[in-house]
Amino acid sequence: MKINDNCVGCGQCASFCKKGAIEVRGRARATDACVECGMCAPYCPVKAIEVSA
Amino acid sequence: MKTIVIGAGLGGLLSAARLSKAGHEVEVFERLPITGGRFTNLNYKGFQLSSGAFHMLPHGPGGPLARLLGEIGAEVRIVRSEQTIIRVPLIKGNPDYAKGFKDIPFIEFPSLLSHMDRLKIAFLIVSTRKNHPSGVTLEAWIKAQVKDEWLVRFADSFCGWALSLKSDEVPVEEVFEIIENMYRFGGTGIPIGGCKGVIDALEAVIRKNGGKIYTGKEVSKILVENGKAAGVIVESEKHEADIVISNLGHAATALLCSEALSGEGHAGYLKMLETLQPSAGIKICLAADEPLVGHSGVLLTPYTRRINGVNEVTQVDPKLAPPGKHLTMCHQYVSPENVKNLESEIEMGLADLKEVFPGKKYEVLLIQSYHDDWPVNRAASGMDPGNETPIPGLYVVGDGAKGKGGVEVEGVALGVAATMKKILG
Repeated sequence: MKINDNCVGCGQCASFCKKGAIEVRGRARATDACVECGMCAPYCPVKAIEVSA
Repeated sequence: MKTIVIGAGLGGLLSAARLSKAGHEVEVFERLPITGGRFTNLNYKGFQLSSGAFHMLPHGPGGPLARLLGEIGAEVRIVRSEQTIIRVPLIKGNPDYAKGFKDIPFIEFPSLLSHMDRLKIAFLIVSTRKNHPSGVTLEAWIKAQVKDEWLVRFADSFCGWALSLKSDEVPVEEVFEIIENMYRFGGTGIPIGGCKGVIDALEAVIRKNGGKIYTGKEVSKILVENGKAAGVIVESEKHEADIVISNLGHAATALLCSEALSGEGHAGYLKMLETLQPSAGIKICLAADEPLVGHSGVLLTPYTRRINGVNEVTQVDPKLAPPGKHLTMCHQYVSPENVKNLESEIEMGLADLKEVFPGKKYEVLLIQSYHDDWPVNRAASGMDPGNETPIPGLYVVGDGAKGKGGVEVEGVALGVAATMKKILG
């Protein structure tokens, strides 16, 4: 999962991640717990999450 | 009459609910899978955090938002908070809280001034109600009246908390409008269920009146025919309407109808859009077993480096946190030049909190920042360009088109009310 420069760090993705795999501090970062499920991507208000197919 | 609303944030849903109640056929298109924009709840570790706002209405049950909700018939219980408290150093002259602090009620802010300055303020409180000052920033106006750095700190803390701006960025007339609204509508309140309590109630009204809300549907274009708004395109499908209301702010709305605005006559509007500055801020969400603030009012913290104020919404609605826990949310203003330094801004905010809550145990749940395309306010308070666009039948609502003197969501409500007056007469 790639988080691009659009990210503002609002943390919306973190609240929808089922694995608790997103850390937020000024911007979001996927931790090792990320399973690339892509659940979080549509919830990003600034289209910052790019999930590889 | 058919109205299409772009964006299911607070402004969009207020408009949709009001118009559906007036008999309009209403369709709302929301790009995200959830409604509410920056005014809804985010469930995180069992806490109801928020997607933006602080689960608080600046003027509580008597304010413009509460009134509009009442008019619409949206059923939300809004509980008036206790009064706003200011935390000041125990001894005047201390630069921070390290050597102790005391809490004073908001209205007692002049008690920290000299006798002479107190008299001056008492006089100004009366005289400015008739003749509002104008033409300068709040900071410049204060400095011209009273030479006491406490007042500027107090103003910065209030503007930071309420507007996410510094007192040297806010036109003094906007502040006096806000003060007038404080007299008119009273202080803060907390909606039961948090922001989502309001959003759910609005959606219920829209659905009851036959309106439709689509999530996960992005509007790609606003249609303009014969110079008038005529509908939208969603996933290459045309949806016709008599009126289009955008909840996206003026700039993003203009991008959706850039061809129609490319004519010479609209150059002034496009130029104005370039001057709009969103405001930025950071919210630090804390969990605690024991209350940190201890009351339902705002706690302003003028003697920190970054944190402007804190609220503890579980004082009113314990269900916003798991049983036995408190949810405490802290706001800090971020200046435009520091948007690129968010990590160090956050460090300073966290260090501040250790001074504001010394010896207290808390867990940092989530740190959320807002700027640029997902800001605190799309238009900084006092700079809102109104709800109309150069295209008849196309209106803008939301935090990019707030009404005068309307703090945050109260400004959204004032803007929506003004728009409804234009549409419904």
